[in-house]
Amino acid sequence: MKRTPLALLNLLHERTRLVVAIAGVAFAVLLIFMNLGFQGALLASTTIMYDQIDADIFLVSPQSLEISSTKAFPRERLYQVAGIEGVARVMPLYMEYLLWRNPDTRLSRAMFVFAINPQDPVFKMPELQTADAIAALQRPNTVFIDRRSRSEFGPQTTGLETEADRRRVTIGGQYTLGGGFAADGTLIMSDQNFRRFFAPRPLSLISMGLVQLVPGTNADQVVATMRTRLPPDVRVLTKADMIASDRQFWQENTAIGFIFGLGVAVSFIVGIVIVYQILYTDIRDHLREYATLKAMGYGSRYLFQIVLQESIILAILGYIPGLLISVALYDLTFRATQLPIAMNPGRILSVLLLTIFMCSVSGLVSVRRAVTADPADVF
Amino acid sequence: METPHNLSLPQSTAIAEIKDAAVHIKNLNYSFGRGDLCKQVLYDINLTLPRGQIVIMTGPSGSGKTTLLTLIGALRSAQEGSLRVLNQEIVGLSNRQLVEVRRNIGFIFQAHNLFESLTAAQNVEMAVELTGEFATKRDQATAILTQVGLKDRVDYKPDALSGGQKQRVAIARALVNQPRLILADEPTAALDKKSGRDVVTLMQKLAKEQGKTILMVTHDNRILDVADRIINLVDGRLESDETLDTFVTTHDPKVLDRRMFIL
Ligand SMILES: Nc1ncnc2c1ncn2[C@@H]1O[C@H](COP(=O)(O)OP(=O)(O)OP(=O)(O)O)[C@@H](O)[C@H]1O
Ligand SMILES: [Mg+2]
Repeated sequence: MKRTPLALLNLLHERTRLVVAIAGVAFAVLLIFMNLGFQGALLASTTIMYDQIDADIFLVSPQSLEISSTKAFPRERLYQVAGIEGVARVMPLYMEYLLWRNPDTRLSRAMFVFAINPQDPVFKMPELQTADAIAALQRPNTVFIDRRSRSEFGPQTTGLETEADRRRVTIGGQYTLGGGFAADGTLIMSDQNFRRFFAPRPLSLISMGLVQLVPGTNADQVVATMRTRLPPDVRVLTKADMIASDRQFWQENTAIGFIFGLGVAVSFIVGIVIVYQILYTDIRDHLREYATLKAMGYGSRYLFQIVLQESIILAILGYIPGLLISVALYDLTFRATQLPIAMNPGRILSVLLLTIFMCSVSGLVSVRRAVTADPADVF
Repeated sequence: METPHNLSLPQSTAIAEIKDAAVHIKNLNYSFGRGDLCKQVLYDINLTLPRGQIVIMTGPSGSGKTTLLTLIGALRSAQEGSLRVLNQEIVGLSNRQLVEVRRNIGFIFQAHNLFESLTAAQNVEMAVELTGEFATKRDQATAILTQVGLKDRVDYKPDALSGGQKQRVAIARALVNQPRLILADEPTAALDKKSGRDVVTLMQKLAKEQGKTILMVTHDNRILDVADRIINLVDGRLESDETLDTFVTTHDPKVLDRRMFIL
């Protein structure tokens, strides 16, 4: 036989209070998960586009901030590195924003545009690999549209005509990419069409230079060589460094990392306050009994344990529904926004630990009251 | 070490008996607060409670009865004088040591102070767990609850018990670890006449069977007859200390009347 599970029985005895406590913890857990989810989605969305770009080394202007806010630089730089040993292919990538009119509502909205030479295998999306797709891209004023573009951009049927920056434009096909936080929707078009839409921008100024390497080549070595050959008006990065650089930009140079960090902190404090309220009321109601335990010969340590156990039980009981609801909301968010928001084991574990920590803090704050219960006052 | 001379004992007592006494108090003073707010509530208390004695303490409200009880029970620490409880001097003990002393004392309060979330048996088991006897805790609880007449109520929660039954659970909890000293503060105050009587008779029976010392504070004149001895505290001083018979003779109005009549 074991010790009487006083903490659990005390909690179970007050059913309404227990439900409120669980709901409170679950709410805090939910808020934490949503904040981490959005932050994770933001960071993942900056990588998701790179995942679909088939390049090993990236050339960008030192003034570029991240993929959706690049500064153009001379295409010449790309050709300068084309001859380096290990380089298989160099490909220019052009990027701009375009006002896309929803043909149904006739409302225009900014769409992010990638432009490539249709012969270059810049993207990995299978829809763009067919000969038909390449032919379609080469037709004037024809674009491919991202299925993950927000629904506000309107229908995406092939052959549909609408207007973009006061030019007629025809949808030539679809692909699946997702613009993340940077773009509500994306388009892919040929460099020739890009010239038409964004005149007078010349094709000799590119947004990004993409380099494919011969398989088995050491990218770091090639990057080092390129850096020695190129003037300082261009940065050379491996794919991993390019991704890290974008992530760092979002986290440090925008309010977004801070906002989500603050969101987690606020949720954490909300959780502490809710659990503290519950534990405090519970202790207040049981003060005579706790004092009696002390009169019987239980030490402060035992009371300490009871309150801490109550807080950990609340943490776990609240965490489970919090997690389940979060998974459902992640799914809902993904469907509504196409943000790559997903649960991962690391987050599941770290939020569980955070929740236990949160409840323990409340326990430690409220336990003082129980420990100072004076048995002499019970008489 | 000990002086046999003790004013408040009714009969002269041998040194050995004092040494073996459940409670031995010498020149105990106690005040609440400090400095200007310091208020003395107990003055020069000298009292010895031999083993197996049932002692009732009476006195006007505010005279210091509860304070004295909490001092004996190691619930407060005394600063002055000497207070030996179960052969241990408790003046000057640390908090941790006081907790140890308490484990040998059974407390019965005016309110039952049972955990509403625990059954009668579990409430009693909480006391058994202090001794570490986890394996037999259920049996011990059932046995003592049977003794207090709650055999068929062991798995009831306090909600489902009457006031008298709850107080009996509290008594069972106080007695289950066989404490040698039982301190009770108005244990019948919250009970009706009959349950109050039952509770006290029960305490008397258990105490006599097991040779326990009971110190009980009460305002209830109807239960004085269970006492071997009655002490009276007035304004923080022990005013009288008598056997039951003398107390009845001096306090019963009819006896007084008869005496006057004879005179
Ligand atoms: N914690 C405290 N702080 C300060 N003064 C106290 C405290 N507890 C009791 N007193 C005072 O000490 C005196 C004795 O109180 P005590 O509770 O011992 O009386 P009592 O004899 O038990 O009274 P009653 O019969 O009403 O229970 C009272 O004047 C009371 O106001
Ligand atoms: Mg009192």
